[in-house]
Amino acid sequence: MRFMRSAIVALAVSASAVASQAAEVKIGVAAALSGLAAQYGAAIRNGFELAAEEINAAGGVNGNTIKLVIEDEQGKKEEAINVFKKLIFQDKVLLVFGPTLSNSGAAAHPVAQAAKTPAFATSNTADGITAVGNYIFRNAVTEADVLPVTLKTVVDKAGVKKVAVLYGNDDVFTKSGYDNFAKALKDQNIAVTTTETFAKGDVDFKAQLTKIKASEPDAIVLSALQAEGGPILVQARQLGITQPFVGGNGVNSPKILELAKEASDNLWVGSPWSASNDSPENTRFIEAYKKKFGTAPDQFAAQTYDALHIVAAALKKVELTGDLAKDRAALRDALPDIAWTGATGPFKFRQALDKSGKPAGYDADQQPIVSVTKDGAYQIVK
Amino acid sequence: MDAFLVWFDDFWAVYSNLILTLGINALLALSIWLTLACGVLALANAAFMGIGAYAGALATMNYDSPFALSLAAAMAAPSLVALAIGLPVLRLGGVYLAMATLGFGEVVRIVILNTDSITGGALGLNGIPQYTQWWHVLLALAIVVFVLARLQRSRTGRAFEAIKVDETAASLMGVDIRAHKLLAFVLGAAIAGLAGALNAHLTFFIGPQEYGFDRGVEILTMAILGGIGSLIGPIIGAFFLTLLPEVLRGLADFRLIVNGFILVAVVLFLPNGLWDPARFRHWFGRRRS
Repeated sequence: MRFMRSAIVALAVSASAVASQAAEVKIGVAAALSGLAAQYGAAIRNGFELAAEEINAAGGVNGNTIKLVIEDEQGKKEEAINVFKKLIFQDKVLLVFGPTLSNSGAAAHPVAQAAKTPAFATSNTADGITAVGNYIFRNAVTEADVLPVTLKTVVDKAGVKKVAVLYGNDDVFTKSGYDNFAKALKDQNIAVTTTETFAKGDVDFKAQLTKIKASEPDAIVLSALQAEGGPILVQARQLGITQPFVGGNGVNSPKILELAKEASDNLWVGSPWSASNDSPENTRFIEAYKKKFGTAPDQFAAQTYDALHIVAAALKKVELTGDLAKDRAALRDALPDIAWTGATGPFKFRQALDKSGKPAGYDADQQPIVSVTKDGAYQIVK
Repeated sequence: MDAFLVWFDDFWAVYSNLILTLGINALLALSIWLTLACGVLALANAAFMGIGAYAGALATMNYDSPFALSLAAAMAAPSLVALAIGLPVLRLGGVYLAMATLGFGEVVRIVILNTDSITGGALGLNGIPQYTQWWHVLLALAIVVFVLARLQRSRTGRAFEAIKVDETAASLMGVDIRAHKLLAFVLGAAIAGLAGALNAHLTFFIGPQEYGFDRGVEILTMAILGGIGSLIGPIIGAFFLTLLPEVLRGLADFRLIVNGFILVAVVLFLPNGLWDPARFRHWFGRRRS
């Protein structure tokens, strides 16, 4: 009898689930699932799928289920435009997430702005992404916000007065990281002993590191990606450079610990998300992610996971009319006021300005977490 | 009729960018066809495209030049560079020329990276005004095809053909090998530059990594896959390579695998390219008999 009753309840629940599926909210995702940026794209897709599953399991938004339309943009600008156009005009989604790379964003976001469709960037940290217009949002915290905080923490905790700088000058990410470091160093009046560069694909950094060692800095500011960051740390320690390294997002990954092993100690990084952050939201996210995908999440997954929750929170305030243009505008109007605490901690939007200083899109207003590596793990600096 | 117009509006909204990219890629394929038609394997077209894209975009952004003038600048800049490097480099032949032109491509990339104050360095140029309209691309393609078709039937075109088949024999017939090779190289650079500027004014953004080795190989593949026996081949090759990933989009994760299989199949069964009239005649003839 009890079995019968639970069976009936189960039937009723699944029936209501079917009924609510009648109203679907379509959300587009443009991510680099193939090509050179595919490693990020995979994590991005996972984060979205996890969040969508959670939201729909909890009854969706105002009874509507969220349906993700995920398209591969290969990390290329032409593809990003094609995918944005397809999602906006053909699939008629309410909002488009992505694309994965900042360059693709610079190409694709004007399409969304012109079509008056909200675009939400989760992984694009370059300057000017949200300067395109008032339909462009992002929850990726820019390096311009993170690096000064990281630097200040190192100065306070490790007593750093002068630094040497080492960066990759042929990559968008490491170059803009360097620009932001240079600005922060100037603002905080930290002396620079020497500035050295390297190129993508280099394997020997001893010449630059020897020069840096001779200039006797208190710390080394490093703007590099994993592939070069790992060898740089190893070779620096081999040369007897014991000073702390201060890195950007490029070296903020468990991969660095694997690559550099014990040489990775004393590397300071700042990020909106940290695997060691034990807030209840983050712990729940990490557990759910590991359970669903069998791997540990990274920052990109955390940011997309939060992004969909932010959009869902905005959708709850919107009464959908079925008129696409109206609904898109309503969602855009609702988004800027959303505050959300998720895997990356408390989040709200901040008005961004365009080149002429006029209000444009919305950037993330979020406090980064600074960590330092010790014994092969990130430890949060309090 | 109205229903058609509505359908066309929707279609154009989704696919306009793809269709314009088809035209631009066809221009790129034709730019390398010109040197291939002369028996010269030069792989500098991606770099010329980059020079054109930067020249055009900088003219538009920094000097507010009209679009036509930007396009002219985008054709002139790579032509001049091609003229300068063509003189020494075209003395090389075969694989050595391919290597030298690849090296030139790297030089262009590094120069763009290290002149940040002008080119924006690794960050690229952002916010390029979107001037490229469908008829610009169509007109550019029509003019280029017309000029190349005329050229092919002219004395110069015959000379290209002669050089391609046998350089020594051609020179004994009184054909100036160096001048003809240089002409093909410079004209190819101008067409690639035009394509670069049209692309730059379509996608809002250009960056140095777009014009590297990958793009060079892509351009070469489009021409070879389409077939370099005639002008139609490279255009078909460009259309095929650009459309294939979009047509296969429904396959989601398997798209690139199927894409690769189709390309291998084409190379295996149509070794002279997609457009191969002799093979078509052969097939057709066999079916009739």
